Amino acid sequence: MPWSMKVMLRMGPVVALALAACAHHAKVVAPAPTPAPVTSAAAAASPATTPAVVKPEPTVVAPLRPEAEVVGAELPADLDQLNRAGYLKDAFFDTNKSELREDARQALADDAAWLKQHPSVQLTLEGHCDERNTEEYNLALGWRRANAVKAYLATLGVTGEHMTTISYGEERPFALGHDESAWAQNRRVHFVITGR
Amino acid sequence: MTRPARTPLLVLLLTALAGPLAAQQEVYLKVTNPGLSRVVLGLPSFASVGTIDPAVASEFLTTLRRDLDQTVAIGVLPNEQARLVVVEPGNAALTRQRWRAVGAQFLLEGSLAGAGSQLVTEVRLWDLSTSEVAYARRFEAGVGLAATLAHTIANELVKLFTGKTGPFLSRIAFVSDRTGAKELWVMRWDGDAQQQLTSYRSITLGPAWSPDGTLLAFTSFLRTAPQLLMLRPSQGSLITLSTLPGVNSSPSFSPNGTRIAFATGGDGDTDIYVVPAAGGVPERLTHTRGINTQPAWSPSGRQIVYTSTATGSPQLYIMDAEGTNARRLTFEDSYADEAAWAPDGIRIAYTTRVEQGFQIAILDLRDGHRTVVEGPGRNESPCWSPDGTMLAFVSNRNGSAQIYVTDPNGQPKQITRDGNNRQPAWVVQLQ
Repeated sequence: MPWSMKVMLRMGPVVALALAACAHHAKVVAPAPTPAPVTSAAAAASPATTPAVVKPEPTVVAPLRPEAEVVGAELPADLDQLNRAGYLKDAFFDTNKSELREDARQALADDAAWLKQHPSVQLTLEGHCDERNTEEYNLALGWRRANAVKAYLATLGVTGEHMTTISYGEERPFALGHDESAWAQNRRVHFVITGR
Repeated sequence: MTRPARTPLLVLLLTALAGPLAAQQEVYLKVTNPGLSRVVLGLPSFASVGTIDPAVASEFLTTLRRDLDQTVAIGVLPNEQARLVVVEPGNAALTRQRWRAVGAQFLLEGSLAGAGSQLVTEVRLWDLSTSEVAYARRFEAGVGLAATLAHTIANELVKLFTGKTGPFLSRIAFVSDRTGAKELWVMRWDGDAQQQLTSYRSITLGPAWSPDGTLLAFTSFLRTAPQLLMLRPSQGSLITLSTLPGVNSSPSFSPNGTRIAFATGGDGDTDIYVVPAAGGVPERLTHTRGINTQPAWSPSGRQIVYTSTATGSPQLYIMDAEGTNARRLTFEDSYADEAAWAPDGIRIAYTTRVEQGFQIAILDLRDGHRTVVEGPGRNESPCWSPDGTMLAFVSNRNGSAQIYVTDPNGQPKQITRDGNNRQPAWVVQLQ
């Protein structure tokens, strides 16, 4: 079973939702164990998201950004634990798009800052899609998304040497439903730390 | 779904093979029924010779009748008319005229004999309009292969009338998640005899047959990043075709089996490549930014149809097999993907998006006319039968994703049930 699956299964849907909700915030100031409510500014930050599909605020059952994230603090030795800790935020996409939304750019700016502080970290950027295209088209779309994130991180000064990109298309969904809230979860580039 | 255009005058060359029934001879069979879509075939019971198990004889004849009745080219004369035929003992010619009088255009006479562990059948096809033997052949098979023997004869008769071998020994490879992971499976064209081909416990996608049914190319995440692999099911041997950066997806064999088109590419773009089926360096055919995927060869091998986002939304394009002369093919669809070129060369089936749902569409290349085949649920991944008379496709009309096959009248029949089953790939026969 690939890394992402293990992580996903352990995270469970609630935390996955919480992570996703986080990505919709215009600004997340670390450390923030409880996400702030979704503001109208946050909604405006992703204009392509229709108001009808703004999700209710999920219950947070685990701290997403532990205090240990303070610069210079020790990272957990265990990779599973490291990935579960949620240091890196996923980038979310609009339907059929591989262009980065404003909320994705915000998340990636935070990710880039963290990665610069931890230059030895090795990463896989996984491109994921919702189920509404054909399987093979989604593979290509997920590939575009993963590489779009990699290219954007490069513009922020994070080089690609320690970064691998892969597309899972629609094959490894985070949310298993067949509605917009599930699909929105599944259109993402997911960060997996593979070495530290 | 749609019927193939029928040539008003079919002139077929038939060679009857050597056997006790016929010396080497050539017969020109002319079917001149522009108004009729099916030849009406009289199918009397075969004469049993020697010690033939009645159950075996019944299986043989039932299978033969069922097969022939499922073809576009042939319709078996219904029993209501067949039973009006009074057999004239000692006067086969008169009996044949009585078959003609009740509506049969052709008559298939035959005998079935058991000889040790072998079944022996001799068939003779009469053209009742000329009272000539149009086809005669003797077949032998192991006694357990009565159904296979019937399928073989049905295939030959379909080829006689259409020029294309019938589907009755054909197989469909597909992807099933019934074991918990997406694996390759294969089944008979009617859904029987489903058999698992891989157990990689990974992600396996997009199977494509070599035209001779010896090789199956597909995408596998077995070694983490997706690679283009090829399986020889008869031996279980696995060949690596491409480990280029990218998705390494959507293989399609050229009609002569020597080359495989597929999709991959670095830096986020996906392009069409071609690699020799014997292995070698992949050659890049498209150089468009964005996504180019799902290549499918024309039956002539001269062109490739594929999906491209060159102008925004995914649309079908056609290019020469060398990658030149690319041009857009679909304009009416908001989304067009998964093209499958019909064996007749004049139709392309593909997946289109209609109001957020997928449906199968068929494009006629002669006049550019597009027909959307509306069905319940989401319908996608069309795949032609090797004779071009039927389509396999995937639908979620009953909940989960399942494979359906249309009969010659276009009526879909569900042929898979366990788990989700997708991406059918049809081949004329396994080798």
